[in-house]
Amino acid sequence: MKRKMAMIFSLLLCAITLSGCWSKKELTDLAFVIAVGIDKTEDGKYMMIFQVVNPGNVAGATQRGGGSGGVPVSIYKATGDNVVEASRKASNKLSRLIYYAHTNLVVISEEIAKEGVDGLLDALERNSQFRTTAMVVIARHHSAEDVLKILTPIDKISANQIIKTLQFSEKVWGQTLNVRVGDVIHDLDSAGKAPIISGVEIVGAVKKGKRQTNVQASEPDARLNINGIAMFKNGKLVGWVFGETARGVLWVMDKIEQTSITVEWKRKKEAVAYKVVRAKTSVAAHMKNGKPSISIRIKAEGDIGESLVPIDFTNPMQIFALEKKIEQTIKNEVVHAVGKAKKEKTDVFGFGNAVYRSYPREWKKMKHVWDESIFPQLEVNVTVDAFVRRTELRTKPYIFGQ
Amino acid sequence: MLFQWGLQKKQKEKKEPTIQQERDQSGQAQDVPREPIHSLLDVNLDIIRHTTGNSSDIVIRRFTIGQERSIRAALIFIDGLADEKNVYQFLLEPLMAATFPISLSSKDTLSFVEKKLAAVGGIKRISHWFDLFLALTSGETIILLDGMPSALSASTKGGETRAIQEPQTQLAIRGPRDGFTESLRMNTALIRRRIKNPNLWLETLKIGEVTQTDVAIMYVKGIANDDIVEEVKKRLRSIRIDSVLESGDIEQLIEDQTFTTFPTMYHTERPDVVAANLLEGRVAIFVEGTPFVLVAPALFIQFFQAVEDYYARFDIATALRFLRVLIFFLSLVAPAIYIAATTFHQEMIPTQLVIAIAAQREAVPFPAFVEALVMEVVFEILREAGVRLPRAVGQAVSIVGALVIGQAAVEAGFVSSAMVIVVSITAIASFATPSFAIAISARLIRFALMFLAAMFGFYGIIMGILVMTIHLCSLRSFGVPYMSPLAPFIPSNVGDTLFRVPTWAFKERPRLISQKNIVRQGEHQRPQPSSINRQEENEGEQS
Repeated sequence: MKRKMAMIFSLLLCAITLSGCWSKKELTDLAFVIAVGIDKTEDGKYMMIFQVVNPGNVAGATQRGGGSGGVPVSIYKATGDNVVEASRKASNKLSRLIYYAHTNLVVISEEIAKEGVDGLLDALERNSQFRTTAMVVIARHHSAEDVLKILTPIDKISANQIIKTLQFSEKVWGQTLNVRVGDVIHDLDSAGKAPIISGVEIVGAVKKGKRQTNVQASEPDARLNINGIAMFKNGKLVGWVFGETARGVLWVMDKIEQTSITVEWKRKKEAVAYKVVRAKTSVAAHMKNGKPSISIRIKAEGDIGESLVPIDFTNPMQIFALEKKIEQTIKNEVVHAVGKAKKEKTDVFGFGNAVYRSYPREWKKMKHVWDESIFPQLEVNVTVDAFVRRTELRTKPYIFGQ
Repeated sequence: MLFQWGLQKKQKEKKEPTIQQERDQSGQAQDVPREPIHSLLDVNLDIIRHTTGNSSDIVIRRFTIGQERSIRAALIFIDGLADEKNVYQFLLEPLMAATFPISLSSKDTLSFVEKKLAAVGGIKRISHWFDLFLALTSGETIILLDGMPSALSASTKGGETRAIQEPQTQLAIRGPRDGFTESLRMNTALIRRRIKNPNLWLETLKIGEVTQTDVAIMYVKGIANDDIVEEVKKRLRSIRIDSVLESGDIEQLIEDQTFTTFPTMYHTERPDVVAANLLEGRVAIFVEGTPFVLVAPALFIQFFQAVEDYYARFDIATALRFLRVLIFFLSLVAPAIYIAATTFHQEMIPTQLVIAIAAQREAVPFPAFVEALVMEVVFEILREAGVRLPRAVGQAVSIVGALVIGQAAVEAGFVSSAMVIVVSITAIASFATPSFAIAISARLIRFALMFLAAMFGFYGIIMGILVMTIHLCSLRSFGVPYMSPLAPFIPSNVGDTLFRVPTWAFKERPRLISQKNIVRQGEHQRPQPSSINRQEENEGEQS
């Protein structure tokens, strides 16, 4: 009995003392960093910008006053030779522990992106609190600091505003892409694919956007706008694609869920709007005489959303003709995107990975010269199969009779 | 004083070989005279008066009987225990009106009275004072004749008892409305009415040296495991105590394990539950004076089985079972999880939620653990007050509780509203557990888990639950593993645990409880559409 008790006691002691992380932190001792921005100072140091939530001022926390008048987030800055140093330095300005577990957004300034992002991401990946599921955006034209300082009206915390915009825009429009820190790290590490990151820019007066009055106007003085996709090569930003070309990138990467494509009809440009509701892209690599080629097959399915020209949709031939036009439009988008990437010599689509999957032995030989010599000459065949599922409630537009 | 006597008796009785003897003598150790009943009536009456301290509720009715009204006699009963109408109508009246045969010797008068005159069911001849007082205090009427060294006891038990009412605990929407009362006989009758079978056996013993409380063991011979029946009897017989006032007194003396928060015996106010348990092979213990009947052996899962599970269809019953286990778990860990998540694992709470909770906690001056502990204790105070207070004042408690805790405390910034939500969920969850016995065990463990959560976070909660699970698996109830049929796993009995299979699939009784006779229904009980075959009625209820 005595031995048994001693045994149980020692086991319990082990259980208690050998347990891992058990540092108690009260909620009121934590500064929830919701977004991190990384800028470059003039003397070449890193500047970290922390967007810290001010819980009492976030909508929903209505109790005990405070709410109205206060801003939902506060910005703290610190400079350092590296990310970790800057992050630690910030503690002499913040009354609470910096807590990264709820950091959902990383904003990298364009300047730093052009110099290379490899170094910064290591610190983020290494930190046990930080999540690699946080999203990354590149601040275009403005510093990351400015982006994080803009106050936004609907989602009070601007980081949430950016994240949600990214998610929904990708889903229904498909010209930007939401990329996670983990994706970027994965792509950086992979020889057959280069990372791409969406851009965010400020539209309007930056100075006014930092004040509470920005959210009190029906049209804010400054807005955050998601626009463009940055292409990276060897961890450095090399170029941007916008609009339909950017959508071409998403077509290839099979990221399109829904979008709207405008096609011309009988020499009238922007005549018919085709709403894609379902799309599937398959990329296959082929090898001919030791030369790789890529074939992209896109299947799109959608409805006619709008017709500004008289088309008789009761006539199947008309619909087939329209489908041909849609296919041509999508193909153009894709070809433009591939052309742009070839020009920048960066394989953002992951064609290299496709080759690697199908021809691992050959890939080993061409891996080192892929970006420089093979990818820019790569033969890419695009076939698009578009299908008009419905014409919605009208078969003949009312302008038909005119 | 009386208890001291009890203690002395205990030491004394150790030497006694059989229980019957012990009991015979235990009464005599009181002021009850050891000698047999005297033949002189006046002496006897004096002894009775003396022994009972001339209690005012003891009615002594003197009268004369015999051919020439020559034999003096007396009826003794306790007012309120005996049915007065019966005493007068069926004892006094025949005795006084009777014509006695001339040839009757004075010696035979008593047997003449016993055999011909007393118009009541049970009549016994008594020659010892101990038996006389036992009969008297159980509500029987004593007839004493002058010149006879023995007495007659006629069963005239009666008096006011509570009528059968709907049970106050374990309510069911569908199901019988009758509940046990404080009368043992009425309670056993309620079971007899449900199980009309001569194999329903009943044994009565008296426990409590001062109170001499009737305790009855009931089981279905042939279904119940004889070893368990023997074990129950053995444990009951070994009880040496001055008083038994409620079945809880017995429960705490015969349960397997004292140092556990989990109940290892089941108690219920519902006759249908007892009947169902008897038919599963369990043993019921009735105690005079309480509507709560004990059932043994009890399994952990039994406390999650509400009667309605068996009366309702199996789909909804299964859903409710899952809900109940979830509720139990919730009432155990809800505050602990709140503490752990807000002080250790902030990363586990969704961002929006953590900001909302943080906002509420901004003005709260205490750490989350203190906040939770204070709220839980306040809630326990409220609950305790609500239970004990007279019904008229109870209203005030709930108003004060709702206002003070629900609103004022949050507005004053003492606690966060998230904490109030957690405490409310816990409170409601602990009320939603079908058995109160298991709900209060969760109540205690909850506090232990809160401490662990405050010290070690989720790690502590997991350790606590592990220890609890190991403890549960080590428990036995009258030799039956407490966690069966889950651990040890008995596939054929799992149908009545976390889920309940359709009634026609209840083929077997719990194996560990009813070891011999486990088949409970015939083959092909599953209802078929437009079947011509008549389905045989099952014997007994299924539960």
